[in-house]
Amino acid sequence: MIRSVIHPQTRAMHRVHLKRHRRAWFIVTGIICAAVLFTSFGYFGGDTWVMIGEAVLQTTYRLVLAYGIALILGVSIALLVGWGRFGEMLFPIFDVLQNIPSFALIPLFIYFFGFTSEMIVFFAVSSIVWPILFAVLTAIKSAHVDLNDAATIFGARGPKRIRYYLAPLSFPAVLTGSIVGIAIGWEAVIGAEIITNIAGFGDFIKEASVSGMSQAMIAGMLAILVIVFAVNRLVWTPLLAESSRRYAE
Amino acid sequence: MIDSDKTALVLSRVSANFSDEEVSVPILRDISFSVPTGAFVSVIGPSGAGKSTLMRIILGLLPQTSGNIVRNFSRPAMVFQSYALFPWLSALDNVAFGLHMDGMRRKERESIAREKLKEVGLAHLENHFPATLSGGQRQRVGLARALAISPDFLIMDEPFSNLDTITSEALKADLINIWHSYNMTILMVNHLIPDTIELSDKIIVMGAHPGRIEMTLDVDLLRPRDVRDTKFFKQVDTLTDAIRAIS
Repeated sequence: MIRSVIHPQTRAMHRVHLKRHRRAWFIVTGIICAAVLFTSFGYFGGDTWVMIGEAVLQTTYRLVLAYGIALILGVSIALLVGWGRFGEMLFPIFDVLQNIPSFALIPLFIYFFGFTSEMIVFFAVSSIVWPILFAVLTAIKSAHVDLNDAATIFGARGPKRIRYYLAPLSFPAVLTGSIVGIAIGWEAVIGAEIITNIAGFGDFIKEASVSGMSQAMIAGMLAILVIVFAVNRLVWTPLLAESSRRYAE
Repeated sequence: MIDSDKTALVLSRVSANFSDEEVSVPILRDISFSVPTGAFVSVIGPSGAGKSTLMRIILGLLPQTSGNIVRNFSRPAMVFQSYALFPWLSALDNVAFGLHMDGMRRKERESIAREKLKEVGLAHLENHFPATLSGGQRQRVGLARALAISPDFLIMDEPFSNLDTITSEALKADLINIWHSYNMTILMVNHLIPDTIELSDKIIVMGAHPGRIEMTLDVDLLRPRDVRDTKFFKQVDTLTDAIRAIS
């Protein structure tokens, strides 16, 4: 029976990774325990958590929706452009578009969607889509010429090329683009909520800050920290590990 | 076996340039040769001779600037120097890739892929991903992937260059057996003179900058070839002298 032999260096790296992983969980558990303690001693009022919960839920819902739309849009455009012959022509155009400061476009989104939740979602889409699109497009364009040729010779032509070659080839890029995109997305959604006063986490911390409710503001930021950490550890870390296992050279 | 009346491939004054907006650099100039059906033909030459470019032009992956190519084959396949396996697929799925693209059902294509993996001695590694395979194993998967589509014309671009001596010797022996049993035409880019003599019926020697044919050598040694035979060494000397003269 053949057994996989793990190189000692890989084992050492795995140990370091595990150590960091445990430390990160330790810190977040500490934050949660501290929040619970502060709440039980009356520093954070019980109502505060309900309000934070509602606000965070609204913001997270917008972010997830925006990410879903941006993912479909970004990956589809990148695959179509990478598949066709217009990639080289469109790359500079995309580059200019992604360099437009996204918050400068808020009036445009307000004009089309008004002061609504949809406005924030589509504004966030306009921020999240670029890192995903560029990551996928770069992965396609920088693929080894032999791999491209192998796909062609063995029949991955026409629309099949997208499904069986370009899409799986882009998987690691979709992950990295998504991680960057979600980080930008949090900023976009919270920033837009702060600017437009539309109910959500951004509006909540702004109100808390303006009315001197520092405990509520701190509690809100702790809640976001925990969510970001949990998404990172429970979603992205396992996917990245799987991606590096499969796509290693 | 070689059918001298039929040619699998004919190139007539094929030239290719690399062009961008500013410059046009000649890569290949007036390449003319033919490959008889069933023959094992090798292309040898220094770096920059455009050997890999020539292989891609033959397969229609790159356009030629001028000249004609007659392709009397319908099912070409290629084995790459860099293996070019799809990293997201297991060894079995890599081998079955071409059949999958042909629309073959999963059960049938996996059965053929298993058979091909067995032929190249990797039946026990069918679920392994390319990253967990050695260079020699990857090259065998690449060969199995090519064989799976039952090619009538196989191009091999320096298949032994990334392998150690022991692995490349074993693969070479397997390749000769496979060539005999599949009765296909093989065009191989190689840079090792003894290997080229041992394997080929015909050797095309290329010069560089731009890539051109310097000479064509027919190897008429009987098969299986004895690499310790004086006739073999004589052929090696002839080819070595020819390559020294152009470099």
